[in-house]
Amino acid sequence: MVKTRRALMFIVFLLLGMLISLQFRGIINNQENNISVREMALRLEAEEAEGRKLLEELNSLETEWSQLLNNIGSRQQDPEIMELIRQRDYEYFRAGLTNVKGDGIVITMQDAQTAGDMNIEDYIIHDADITGILNELRSNGAEAISINGERILGTSKLVCAGPTIFLNKSRYPPPYVIKAIGDPDTLYDAIDQLPNVAVMRLYGIRIDIRKEYDMIIEKYRLYESVSEWLSNLEVATE
Amino acid sequence: MKLFKTMALTLVCLLLGIAVAWQYNSVNENLVLAQYEKKNLSQLVEELLLERENNERLRARIEELQQEVAALKDDENMDMKYVEDLKQSILMARVMAGLETVKGTGLVITVESGGQIRVRASHIQELLNELKASDVQAISVNDERIVATSEVREAGDYIMINGRQLVPPYTIKAIGDPDRMERSLNLMGGVLSKYQVYDFNVSLEKNDNVVIPGVRDDGTVIRTDRLTPVVP
Repeated sequence: MVKTRRALMFIVFLLLGMLISLQFRGIINNQENNISVREMALRLEAEEAEGRKLLEELNSLETEWSQLLNNIGSRQQDPEIMELIRQRDYEYFRAGLTNVKGDGIVITMQDAQTAGDMNIEDYIIHDADITGILNELRSNGAEAISINGERILGTSKLVCAGPTIFLNKSRYPPPYVIKAIGDPDTLYDAIDQLPNVAVMRLYGIRIDIRKEYDMIIEKYRLYESVSEWLSNLEVATE
Repeated sequence: MKLFKTMALTLVCLLLGIAVAWQYNSVNENLVLAQYEKKNLSQLVEELLLERENNERLRARIEELQQEVAALKDDENMDMKYVEDLKQSILMARVMAGLETVKGTGLVITVESGGQIRVRASHIQELLNELKASDVQAISVNDERIVATSEVREAGDYIMINGRQLVPPYTIKAIGDPDRMERSLNLMGGVLSKYQVYDFNVSLEKNDNVVIPGVRDDGTVIRTDRLTPVVP
């Protein structure tokens, strides 16, 4: 009886000791890393929310601005001004500065759920995988492309940054949703038959392709006026 | 004595209970934090700074637009400035689309096979991606401007861009920060070190006056026949 009791006590104390040391080790580790990590994560979240608000504000201002211009133009009843307004709308549309609508495909890409025994790098999506798909879309007549809502232009930046990608001026985690307007059948077949898509699928990377009709692709997000953004360029056309 | 033993045991059990609860709690908390754990502190700080910079730019742009809107509301009688502004915004949109010839400081890179391995579309594509990653503002390959719809593909022994067949040597022009572009091309394991392995002949030149032609405007490169503008 006494023996069992002793043994019981021994186990209880052993557990207590282990728990306490575990707890303290955890606390010491966390204090250094996690408190500042959490603090940063909270700040980042706040900043991102602020960014979304600012973008909305900018969007409505842009709408107001272009409506004002149009109103002034039509009040003028000046054919030259009307023509200039028409041209401006057209060039904005071609430059990717207008939301556009059309038929096409949507590709959704997601890292493999579990990494197998090959190199871990093979189970996540890389920038080259995405740029390869973009190139294939363009080769098959895509007229407008976006990834996670970021319009892709000729000079768009697309780089891997850890488990996320950096697109234009922002960072996005997976899943990556690529939208392309063009002939839905042509685009679908081209991507579905792409050798690299088969390889990625083999590694468990989930790639879903579907045809979509009447979808909207958003305009390029400008964080400054075009002339400020392209300040390194001097127009040389005579 | 018996009382003391019971009390001691109670105390120990109580402590154990508290310790278990405490531990459980902090494990839970760590699970919440785990989603950030993949990102280390420096990554978070980097993202935060980036987001701040973007927001700063947005604020400046909003202020600028607010002034423009106010000026438009104020100014009832339209003068030449309105027409000038319109013309300027048309021109800038065309620059952005790649329809205008532009010049500026940048890099001129030529790439040619060293005899062993042919320069393929994917090699050029990799170089273009690297340049785009360094905030380039205009790029061309053998004077074919790279625009939003530009593809780079194999065409027999050569490569094809904007539906045109290009022959080597390939000359890539890029307007942007030349030092930054050069640094990223020269990274270890980067594009230029791969080119070296392939024995390509490569030349790289910084130039203050890189001229990049606009893309042809015949509806075959910048295509819009399947797009409808959505006006708010």
